Amino acid sequence: MSWREIAAEEIGGSALRETVLYLLMNVPGLPPIAQAIHIAAVAVVMGSAFFVGLRQLGLAVGSQDPNEVISRLMPFMWWSLPVLVVSGVLFVIARPDRYFFNPIVDIKVICIGVVVVSALVIHAPTRNHSDFWTRSRLHRTGSVVASACLILALLGIILAGRWIAYVDYIYW
Amino acid sequence: MEAIWTWIGESELAFQIGATWWFPLLESIHVVAICLLVGAICMADLRLLGWMGKRYDLHQFVDELTPWAWGAFVPAVVTGLGLFISRPAAYAANPAFQVKFVLLLLAGANVFYFHRYVYAIPAEGIAAEGITAKGKERLAAGFSIVLWAGVILAGRWVGHIN
Repeated sequence: MSWREIAAEEIGGSALRETVLYLLMNVPGLPPIAQAIHIAAVAVVMGSAFFVGLRQLGLAVGSQDPNEVISRLMPFMWWSLPVLVVSGVLFVIARPDRYFFNPIVDIKVICIGVVVVSALVIHAPTRNHSDFWTRSRLHRTGSVVASACLILALLGIILAGRWIAYVDYIYW
Repeated sequence: MEAIWTWIGESELAFQIGATWWFPLLESIHVVAICLLVGAICMADLRLLGWMGKRYDLHQFVDELTPWAWGAFVPAVVTGLGLFISRPAAYAANPAFQVKFVLLLLAGANVFYFHRYVYAIPAEGIAAEGITAKGKERLAAGFSIVLWAGVILAGRWVGHIN
């Protein structure tokens, strides 16, 4: 058995799934409310991370200090990320087969990993050194590379998020 | 109106969008554009409310974000129209879509009000008042955040009600 089959089976037969399914089916309006919270968190994460990345790439808000933009916008992303994960995991638990056997989910998970790592790489150094990314050409190059990874992975998440449903519709 | 929606819905373009990979592609671009649009608008609104970026000049802050907002608004509208014509009658009758449309009109009116009656004040006038936005500016910014959040939430409900 692959790890997907084990995970899908474990979650599929768990009390947690029963609880989540019960809530989704019996609490009036819960599915669209959870999805609405999810999409609102997507907008906050994407909006803040996009502009952090675009500033580091020199494409947006050129008059603003790149380090200050990071420390100002990144907290929006970090605070929204748990909301995003919890509201998304709710549906994974409810329908594990749909997600564990969908190839696009793999791409989305990889992209989420790249976003978290590149966001940490961008944000963490500025917490102790407010001028970190503007110290030298090497630092600036580093911020450009991390920002390019961040933006590409964000685009990947959005594309994968839409295509999960589409692939699901075609094949299942 | 029903005849128009039926005519559009039965067109070759509507079929191509609705029955092929065009729909998820347009939807993906729509989401990216909305994130950039709302991201740019909310950053400007938060600055106007004085909740972020107070060290920066108010006009410069807003002016740098405006091209991004317009640049994202155009593809958001084009892709939104593309999605709409795939099932125009169903969307037009969808209460969530109607709410989204009304909120979009109100957000547009708010943008017009802001740029025509609030933001059009000469830069010197604003500078003389300091870096804090005035009451009307903050009110428009507050409305803007509420309206765009409503647009996003209503947009999600369109799919659910369908």
